Amino acid sequence: MSRHGIDVAPLVNAELHSELSAFLAYESELVDSRRFHEWVMIVDPSFTYRVPVPLTPDNPSKNGYDDSAFVIDESRQTLIDHWFVRFEPEMWEMAWAENPPVRYRHFVTNVRVRETEVTDVYDVRSNVMVSAARQSSPTSTLHAERFDVVAREEDGLRLRSRFVVTDESVLDFVQLRVVF
Amino acid sequence: MRLVREESDRFVVSRRAWFDAAVLERERDTIFRQAWLFLGHESEIPEPGDYVTRRLGFDPVILVRGEDGEVNVVANTCRHRGVKLCRSDRGNSSHFRCPYHGWTYSSAGELTGVTNVLDLFGRDFDKSHFPLYQPAQVDSVYGLIFATWDPDAPTLEQYLGPALWYLGSIFGAFDDGVEVLGFPARTIVGTNWKPESENVGGDGYHTPITHQSAFALGMFAGPQDLEKMGKVTGKTYTGRVVDATNGHTFRVHHLPVENELPTFFGLPENLWPEMSRNLDRGQTDVQDRLSLIHGNVFPNMTLLNNYKISTEARGSACRYFRVTTQHPISPDRNEMLWWCFVPKATDHAWRQQSQRAYLRTSGPAGLFQIDDNENFTGFADAHSGTVLLDENVELEGVNNSTVNTDLGWPGTVYDADKSEETIRAFWRRWSEYVDGVGEAVLPPFEPAPAEVAR
Repeated sequence: MSRHGIDVAPLVNAELHSELSAFLAYESELVDSRRFHEWVMIVDPSFTYRVPVPLTPDNPSKNGYDDSAFVIDESRQTLIDHWFVRFEPEMWEMAWAENPPVRYRHFVTNVRVRETEVTDVYDVRSNVMVSAARQSSPTSTLHAERFDVVAREEDGLRLRSRFVVTDESVLDFVQLRVVF
Repeated sequence: MRLVREESDRFVVSRRAWFDAAVLERERDTIFRQAWLFLGHESEIPEPGDYVTRRLGFDPVILVRGEDGEVNVVANTCRHRGVKLCRSDRGNSSHFRCPYHGWTYSSAGELTGVTNVLDLFGRDFDKSHFPLYQPAQVDSVYGLIFATWDPDAPTLEQYLGPALWYLGSIFGAFDDGVEVLGFPARTIVGTNWKPESENVGGDGYHTPITHQSAFALGMFAGPQDLEKMGKVTGKTYTGRVVDATNGHTFRVHHLPVENELPTFFGLPENLWPEMSRNLDRGQTDVQDRLSLIHGNVFPNMTLLNNYKISTEARGSACRYFRVTTQHPISPDRNEMLWWCFVPKATDHAWRQQSQRAYLRTSGPAGLFQIDDNENFTGFADAHSGTVLLDENVELEGVNNSTVNTDLGWPGTVYDADKSEETIRAFWRRWSEYVDGVGEAVLPPFEPAPAEVAR
């Protein structure tokens, strides 16, 4: 799934750019404030979320990741069934790593929105810095480029997929179980 | 003072064993120089010139497939002025050229080129005197590459002892062998390098507590799942722990079901006949109706061959093969490498399901792993001071379990699902290296006074 060679489409106009940027900011707000019931409402049922294994390649023309191996590979349903459920009243007391919760903060910048060959489906890329504060430990941060597909449905925008390429090849992040 | 002390019904380990910087230096100079250490798998470098960079103990090395097809392990440093040769994590190259002055080495580590050799070093310069440094011994089993810096170390086969048989039960079952899926992930975990090994080495005691949420999510086969898998023989799984000598340990967990022929649940059924053929009777018994086998090859290689339910959709089931290594950075930080293995003769769909089962449970962001990490990092958090370093950790749990001699599995097999037998075995071996008893070569360890520790 090389991400190279599909950059030819021009960036969309300011109005669309603004709308998609606001969508990303809203999506981050829901993750950072752990409003997962609302988050799943703006995520397509076919959603896939993948973080490939980052590495330093031997050639500047190669990707800095291996997409035959992953750090995270989830669907909307598995995020609901295995991730978000651990914050529910019946489970948080036994979900040790979620309690006390790590405090995540997304900083989303450099949003680039492009049309795709399918009407109302957008190729949306952004840079993120995500910080994580666990208990009293110093904050750790992770830097990445996100490759999202966002589609316009009758009742609003939906996140269809997210592919996250981290800059750090050795992931020094306090708790990786987060939607970057 | 010995850090590991065993007296009649007491087994204690000083907390300095994890969080005193002087102990880490001691480990660096004993364990990580003398033990055989896991580096990677042959399938990571299939073609001549393929290489990956790793650490052997604390020192950087390159694993490279030579032109002759042999796997070589060479130190990642130029013989001339010591600069790192290989700066990427993996690649393919017919040779290694130092970016400083251009000394060039073959994939077997021979010095083949020296820039301006006549002007700088004269006519008599003999390149054959300057090959890349290499570990004292390199060997492999089932394609798993190990090396040691110690020329006096026993052979790998001797070092592994009975553990080799258990490795065979996991990696030796398939006609076409196993291979690694992609490049191993690497993560930093904020704790000492040993808790992962102590835990995966055989701690069945923590599972119902730490992983209570995984039970609630239906990831362990329950009565309804078992009914479909054969004749249900009881309500509880059968767990056994193994002291495989030399500090190597395993835990084997079986589903309470019975069938006429061996069943290797979670693996493609077309592989079952060859598994029975390739495994000996005892190994077949290990793999038959397997819930999981996990273990630790001393010091820092953990193995996890796991059957899990509901990792894809409710009721779905799959097996995965995880290997990790833990590399110390400081007393309270380590770097983990994560490999996912698959039988070579599996299709893309099965591999994807298996990798997902691994990632979602025991991968770097898996729900078992993050709950484990909460304990391991909490252990480090609790030792920011010096007073508590002088206290002990208690490891007496179940020290009277029955030794099972009927099964015929090698090593000492205990009929105990939840015990600290394997953790004590790890620490006994560790003590031989670090406390300076047994085979260790240094004088007994004397911890630093409290005020200068850390």
